Amino acid sequence: MGIKKEPKQASYFWPGFHKQTIILTILSQTIAPILFGVLIISFGNFTINSTTFWIIIGLTFIINSIFGILNNSHSIKPTKDLMAVINHISGQQSKLVVPELNTKRNERTGFRDALQIIYRATITKEPSKKYQDTKSTNLASSVLAKSLDITTCGFVTLDKDHKIIYSNKSAPVHTNSEGLKELDLIFNVDETLESWLDNCDKNAVRAEHTWVRVPNSLPNQEDRRFFDLFVSYEKGAIAETVLILIDRTNIYSVDEENLDFLSFAAHELRGPITVIRGYLDVLEEELADTFKDDQHELFRRLIVSSNRLASYVDNILNTSRYDRRHLKVHLVEDTVSNVYDVISDDMMLRASSQNRLLSTHFPSSLPTIAVDKSSMSEVFSNLIDNAIKYSNEGSSIEITASVAGDFVEISFQDHGIGMPESVVGNLFQKFYRSHRSRETVAGTGIGLYISKAIVESHGGTISVRSEDGKGSTFIVSLPIYSTVADKLREGDNSNENLISEGKGWIKNHSMFRG
Amino acid sequence: MAIKTILCIEDDRFIGEMYVRSLKKAGYDVDWMVDGNDGLVAARNKQYDVILLDVMLPEIKGTDILESLRGGSEDLIPNSHVIILTNFEQDDESRIAMQKNADAYLIKAEITPKKLISVIQQLKDV
Repeated sequence: MGIKKEPKQASYFWPGFHKQTIILTILSQTIAPILFGVLIISFGNFTINSTTFWIIIGLTFIINSIFGILNNSHSIKPTKDLMAVINHISGQQSKLVVPELNTKRNERTGFRDALQIIYRATITKEPSKKYQDTKSTNLASSVLAKSLDITTCGFVTLDKDHKIIYSNKSAPVHTNSEGLKELDLIFNVDETLESWLDNCDKNAVRAEHTWVRVPNSLPNQEDRRFFDLFVSYEKGAIAETVLILIDRTNIYSVDEENLDFLSFAAHELRGPITVIRGYLDVLEEELADTFKDDQHELFRRLIVSSNRLASYVDNILNTSRYDRRHLKVHLVEDTVSNVYDVISDDMMLRASSQNRLLSTHFPSSLPTIAVDKSSMSEVFSNLIDNAIKYSNEGSSIEITASVAGDFVEISFQDHGIGMPESVVGNLFQKFYRSHRSRETVAGTGIGLYISKAIVESHGGTISVRSEDGKGSTFIVSLPIYSTVADKLREGDNSNENLISEGKGWIKNHSMFRG
Repeated sequence: MAIKTILCIEDDRFIGEMYVRSLKKAGYDVDWMVDGNDGLVAARNKQYDVILLDVMLPEIKGTDILESLRGGSEDLIPNSHVIILTNFEQDDESRIAMQKNADAYLIKAEITPKKLISVIQQLKDV
């Protein structure tokens, strides 16, 4: 009685098929030298005892076999890739690696399209029940689900419509009134998970992205938690998007409490700052003619210091707003020169009182930029303040601007102490202070952090070039207005009836009642 | 019509005194109310050209004063310009609501008395 063989799973196909084709190739390549050998003996060129005869036969066999195997590998590669995709879709374990769809070769040959057709065809159907029903798969699923529920890491999978198809117990997820699961995560408006996934749907086959410090609720709400989030995307997979969330509340909440306190303190500090700056303004006018000797310089130092204090407070408040997802920029058309004018007097005063030579060069041909003048002037102020702090007395600081593609690049160059490479990488992190700067220069470690946030809110970038002992150049790139004008008009980002004044506004004169 | 009379509603004595001193020196006729309720009464009883209104006042907030004066069916201060002065920026909703009834919204720490006078002079130009 013959043994009835169990039908095999798809994952068994490739190893068997591969082995079979190699054996067949070698066998077929063996026949050729045998025939060749018979022929040359028949014609009397060689005898069977001749060494040369066996060398020729051996070489013929080896060369034929090598070419045969190479040709075979090439010919069966599509089968291998197809099996890899089929195994992947079915969820069966296999050593085959899913092929990279996005290669030029696959695009050119149409194979990418073929694989995508398979992916699409399978997504529209329910996952194969056949394999879910097997005992071993059920056991694995149950063990996996239980394990995932024990871990403190959140684990969420989304389907092609970005709907949650699985979430473990630690994942910040709730069920809405329609019975659908939703993520409890608050992303920055300019970098949401949804917008990233939309972009992946259009442009990617595989992608990965990391978010840090993503809260699950707004400040002051109960049980506020913070997550670092790692997301993998693979077009066509059953779980197209996989989210792994690591709860970092214990680390980030400390910063958050610090920020709460700082924000409160910063608001309170604004009262005395108003008085100090106000009275200095009043007194300067009233006393200017009576100053003797160096009193005028001493008075200027008071003004510079009070202005710097106001800048620090603004940085703290902006950081607090940014971290609470409340920082907003209102982009309008303006020039680099106008942005600088907001702080120009103050910067000149700061530079001259600390014996630095500040120079600017903004070509008149420079195109206008899309900018929130108040926020960007704070960025400029931070970068110039740093240039002053980290340069030597008597040295120069140059601010220049030029066009680079669709952007205007504004460079802030100093010739001061510079930074080693190890510092540059961390420079834009919150509260980061290099060992050296901690020892030599006062600061909060949030100026560059908030500057980066503001620049990025403009759709721009900030970068730094630095050489230890030779100085640093910070480069802010902002979009040219004409390149983003349509988008801004769509978003109705400007309010023509208002003229901005710092963080406040004044109604446009023509709109006044009168 | 040139701006001459100003009502300053500001509970911080240092700040109030600073504005009053500078504005008087610039030639304006200034009344200063430390208490919000007194400020509301003053605004109702006399037509000022400009009202400087602090937001964070004890008992009644500046935004509530503005609502009482302009939020009803009748504008009680039709000839006045209102400048809101604050150090606590409001959320977007409140800011938009204020745009309806105020002529300017300024952060006190960002403006010196000189700047405030220049804003008032801009109003005069209308």
